[in-house]
Amino acid sequence: MKVAVTVWDERISPVFDSARTLLIVDIKNDKMKNISYKSFNPELEASLAEELSLLGIKVLICGAISQAYSTLIEAGTIQLIPFISGNVNEVLESYIKGNPLVPAFLMPGCREEEENP
Amino acid sequence: MNTFTQNTTEIILESISDGVFTVDHEWKIMSFNRAAEKITGISRKDAIGRHCWNVFRSNMCQDECALKKTMQEGKSFFSSSTYIVNNKKKRIPTTVFTSLLKDKNGNIIGGVETFRDHSLVEELRKKLYGRFQMGDMISRSQAMRDIFKILPKVSQSDSTVLIIGETGTGKELIARAIHDLSSRKDKPFVAINCGAFPDTLLESELFGYKAGAFTHATKNKPGLFAAADKGTILLDEIGDTSPSFQVKLLRVLEEKVFLPLGAVKKEKSDVRLIAATNKNLSKMVDAGTFRQDLFYRINVVQLKLPPLRQKMEDIPLLVDHFIASLNKIRGKSVSGIDKTALGILMTHDYPGNIRELENIIEHAFVLCSKGDITKEHLPSTLTRQSMIATEDNFSQFPLKAAEIKVIKAFLKKNNYDRKATAKDLGIHKSTLFRKINKLGIKLPKIDGRFKR
Repeated sequence: MKVAVTVWDERISPVFDSARTLLIVDIKNDKMKNISYKSFNPELEASLAEELSLLGIKVLICGAISQAYSTLIEAGTIQLIPFISGNVNEVLESYIKGNPLVPAFLMPGCREEEENP
Repeated sequence: MNTFTQNTTEIILESISDGVFTVDHEWKIMSFNRAAEKITGISRKDAIGRHCWNVFRSNMCQDECALKKTMQEGKSFFSSSTYIVNNKKKRIPTTVFTSLLKDKNGNIIGGVETFRDHSLVEELRKKLYGRFQMGDMISRSQAMRDIFKILPKVSQSDSTVLIIGETGTGKELIARAIHDLSSRKDKPFVAINCGAFPDTLLESELFGYKAGAFTHATKNKPGLFAAADKGTILLDEIGDTSPSFQVKLLRVLEEKVFLPLGAVKKEKSDVRLIAATNKNLSKMVDAGTFRQDLFYRINVVQLKLPPLRQKMEDIPLLVDHFIASLNKIRGKSVSGIDKTALGILMTHDYPGNIRELENIIEHAFVLCSKGDITKEHLPSTLTRQSMIATEDNFSQFPLKAAEIKVIKAFLKKNNYDRKATAKDLGIHKSTLFRKINKLGIKLPKIDGRFKR
């Protein structure tokens, strides 16, 4: 299964809307495989959900996201896990192990019941 | 700082409507005032000790952090084109001011960021702007505002509309606005440039074809009329279609049915048709190159879009509009355009109309990342054009020189009264102004309207 994360150096981009790099990782048998980076600009993507779907992405983990993008992505087949912060490797390892990302990596001020990733 | 002063500072910080937070050298939040809690929706308890980017969540955090620049350069920074995303997924437009945080001995202990919620200002700005806006079109000119005024009624009528305008005047935008304001808005909007296709291809694109209709037609293909069912179709450059196609189109409009290529059964069509052209169709009718019956059929409501050179007052508004949208798309922070550059844009004729202006601003964006667009960022063809007519190089451009000479003579004759000069020359006042600017004619500091 392909998981994408909007990244800024080693950490998750604080704001999806202004993120510029997408890390795409294949998760097979609880292991990360084929890690790739793609330059990315949500403002330029005319059909964001389709673009992500074409890349085969099933899950998108990101930081704060505005309603317009959130609706676009969730309208497709991609599972969105927003308002996540922290080190990318730690977040992905935790995700692979099946540990809930919330509340462990939830951004400050975001209540668990609101996001329900 | 004594206890009294410290308490007073805290009281002031708590009572102001600007959000204020401070960070240490590790970018962790040390203090967070009440307004910051209100604007971000994050409590002080949740914010303190966390990295500022995870709390403030601004579009600047990643690459253009003002606080980082302040810490690196020791200077204060102000930014007006920022937004934050709160925990309700709402974008809040903000202005940001950053400065260094020093202790009583003058040692730098971190940074201070002050930010202001601009949602209300932005809302008011949009309302004000909205007076000149319809869909994606923006204009201050009377001709366009008259169109904006009737557009809702035109949209609701379901009548066929003919849009006339030069290339780049926004014919497709107006067609889309008609669709978006109509009861068909939830159905497809399809546009096709008729001039780009030969006859048979245009027919198959519009009406579709059945398997076996011609070689390689292995399966049925629905056309754009079927794709736009219950929606709107724009036939652009309708003046470029052949007489035989015009007959077929007329039948669709009259009988509300169409026949796909190779089909034996007609299909129903429930599509609103909007036609557009840059040609003079009534002249074409007179010349026999456009069918009169089709012309009457499509010319139910006619909207005439003025070329940009006839609404030069729109240029500053359009430039601002393009800068704002390109800032968003390209992630830049261009603040505007300086007077000289705007002056050059105001003297150009724009044969390519608004599209040409948009391309010029896009060109400037390649060379300019922040601050104002200046003359140097504009295409060289434009700046050269504005220079060629100066009086220093008369001999190279005799026609321009003659024009300068004539205008100057008439200005002098009319005691520099621009209105009278324009009348004498048989041109509009605004055309004269444009020529004066473009040709670089220097006027004395007298105005003929106020004779002593």
